[in-house]
Amino acid sequence: MSASTDESLADVVAEANLLVTCGPGGVGKTTTAAALGLAAALAGRKVVVVTVDPARRLADALGLDEGAAADEPHHVADVAADSDGELWALMLDAASTFDRLVREQTTSRKQADAILQNPVYRAISGSLAGAQEYMAIERLHQLHTSGDWDLVIVDTPPSRHAIDLLEAPDRLIGFLGHPVYRALTAGQRAFAKVTNAAASMFLWAVRRLAGPQIVEDTVEFFRSLANIEPGLRRRAEEVSVLLRSDTASFVVVSSPRAEAIGEAEHLVGALRDGGFPFGGVVINLIHPVPEPIPVADRAELEGLEDGPLLDHVAWHDELTDLALAEREELAALADLAEDVPVIELPLMPVDVHDVDGLTDLAVRLSG
Amino acid sequence: MAMVDVDWITSTQVAIVAGKGGVGSSTVAAAYALAAARIGADVLFVSVDGRPGMGPLLGGRELDDREHILRKLKGAGQVRGRTIPADQAFGDYLELKGVGGVLRRAASAASLPMVAAATPGLEHLLVLGKIKELARDGAADLIVVDAPPAGHAAPFLRSATGLSDVVQSGPVREQAVEVDEMLRDPDRCRAMIVTLPEETPVTEAVELAVEFQRDIGLALLPVVANGCWPDRPGLEKSPAMAARSHKVKLSAATKAALASSAEFGWARLERQRHQLARLAAEIGEPMALLPRLPTPRLTLHQLGDLADALVEPLVDAEDLT
Repeated sequence: MSASTDESLADVVAEANLLVTCGPGGVGKTTTAAALGLAAALAGRKVVVVTVDPARRLADALGLDEGAAADEPHHVADVAADSDGELWALMLDAASTFDRLVREQTTSRKQADAILQNPVYRAISGSLAGAQEYMAIERLHQLHTSGDWDLVIVDTPPSRHAIDLLEAPDRLIGFLGHPVYRALTAGQRAFAKVTNAAASMFLWAVRRLAGPQIVEDTVEFFRSLANIEPGLRRRAEEVSVLLRSDTASFVVVSSPRAEAIGEAEHLVGALRDGGFPFGGVVINLIHPVPEPIPVADRAELEGLEDGPLLDHVAWHDELTDLALAEREELAALADLAEDVPVIELPLMPVDVHDVDGLTDLAVRLSG
Repeated sequence: MAMVDVDWITSTQVAIVAGKGGVGSSTVAAAYALAAARIGADVLFVSVDGRPGMGPLLGGRELDDREHILRKLKGAGQVRGRTIPADQAFGDYLELKGVGGVLRRAASAASLPMVAAATPGLEHLLVLGKIKELARDGAADLIVVDAPPAGHAAPFLRSATGLSDVVQSGPVREQAVEVDEMLRDPDRCRAMIVTLPEETPVTEAVELAVEFQRDIGLALLPVVANGCWPDRPGLEKSPAMAARSHKVKLSAATKAALASSAEFGWARLERQRHQLARLAAEIGEPMALLPRLPTPRLTLHQLGDLADALVEPLVDAEDLT
């Protein structure tokens, strides 16, 4: 569709209702998500950027103070003041999103409290198989269906396999469908009467390894979870459909380091195989290629002694080598992207840490 | 050859190398293993998450759950390598506790995901427990652990203390207590924090240092600042000024070419100095500075360069602030 020049994510930013950024760690993914949000706000849309990054990088980039409450959208002031758009940011807290989900899916307060106060629940609500990734998706769904937002952007946890996020609903359903879980929760029988062999083995193993108290808590927890299982299951299926609909778009973010490129290639394949709408690639932190030193002048620069000119020449050559090698690495990823836009963002002389820096990135992303 | 104090390299039995995503902590772990082998140590490299490419980077085959020799150094030590998958650690643990073969296979295959879900951090604890067993059995002079990346290092190491809140009795508690003891004993276990001389990675390294020392009681090895550009003070001068002090005359095109790289370079170097000073001031531990290699893809030879840089004299935090 688009040629290699004039690559831009302007269409994605203007049209998508859900945008998911994914990629390996340390490539500026959160900053990119924030810049995409800013680009959409500048285009007049009301945008919320959701991040699960515990290091609060988005908070740094957006100048939100540490005291900001987790899990609620915060308006980013002084942004997009000249347009009708608004940029909001939200730090996801997996545990409190899970709490909210439990409250929504239970029929009584008593039922909800039984789950929320269970010690096993308290310990695992943030770490249950795929829970953090699932909660990112769950929050995306809540925000999307609230009707309050033109665009919801989710910055996913850094991942070597995007599938962690994309498969999270399936993993949670898989967990709920596990034979041991089914046996423990079937018919609300007393725990002493569990007859299923695998479940007995499980109880035996937990008791043997971790003591009797945790067995009681675990069984009780699984039983109470059974009450909300149909709701979880339905939600997981809705999210799965939503993420594959044409209102959604996935953007893969990478850096030019070989390791990151390898992981990004893997992600692109996983998105395509999973039938997820793939909106573009952002390659961040690329070193600039200096202007070349004319060949004719090289002789003059041979055999320099230590000193400022040697510093200049050595640095120039080092930067050139690195910048060119990076471009070879990312050619493979650009090929793989086929017809979607590939945006290359240079490594800035200073780190992006304020709204001006983000605005500059937003302009580069949406042209 | 100048005498260099490299005692820290073998100052502990288990070295946990950790950093947030993208700082190159796996590469530094490999360079550390190589540096230790060069001074005669028998080193076991353990990859917790089985990240691909680490075995070949060390000169051997891809790592799996069985131990292989990756590299033997003539007249010196060697590097062996393996991964420790949680299910294998679980099986080994059941065996250690006298659980019989058939039952053990059934239990580990069918119920690890469920047991692990019911006892958060159990998988991490089992892996740390296995490392503890290897250290106790004297499996190597030094065990270098390439910890999970991207924000998972602290939960990984906290699994021992975290589990004891939920688990009040039984072998898991015993295991948690023993792992906790190992993590708190600097002769047996220390952590190497890896970062980059950039703003966000430095902030994260400082957070990690606090979590390790205060929350886990884990002592630190030197802090590694990876990817440092060599300092080039000459970039502060313009290319024309620089040429004058060498009594060389440059064409306008060459001056422009040098200026195009110098502007970017000087800004990055200023940034780097500032961030290294911040890292030194906030953590206050000796530091090893590893060079930024001019390549996006590391080779065996370049890993050797990083190992060389690790055995250079450490930089005192005070010298950078």
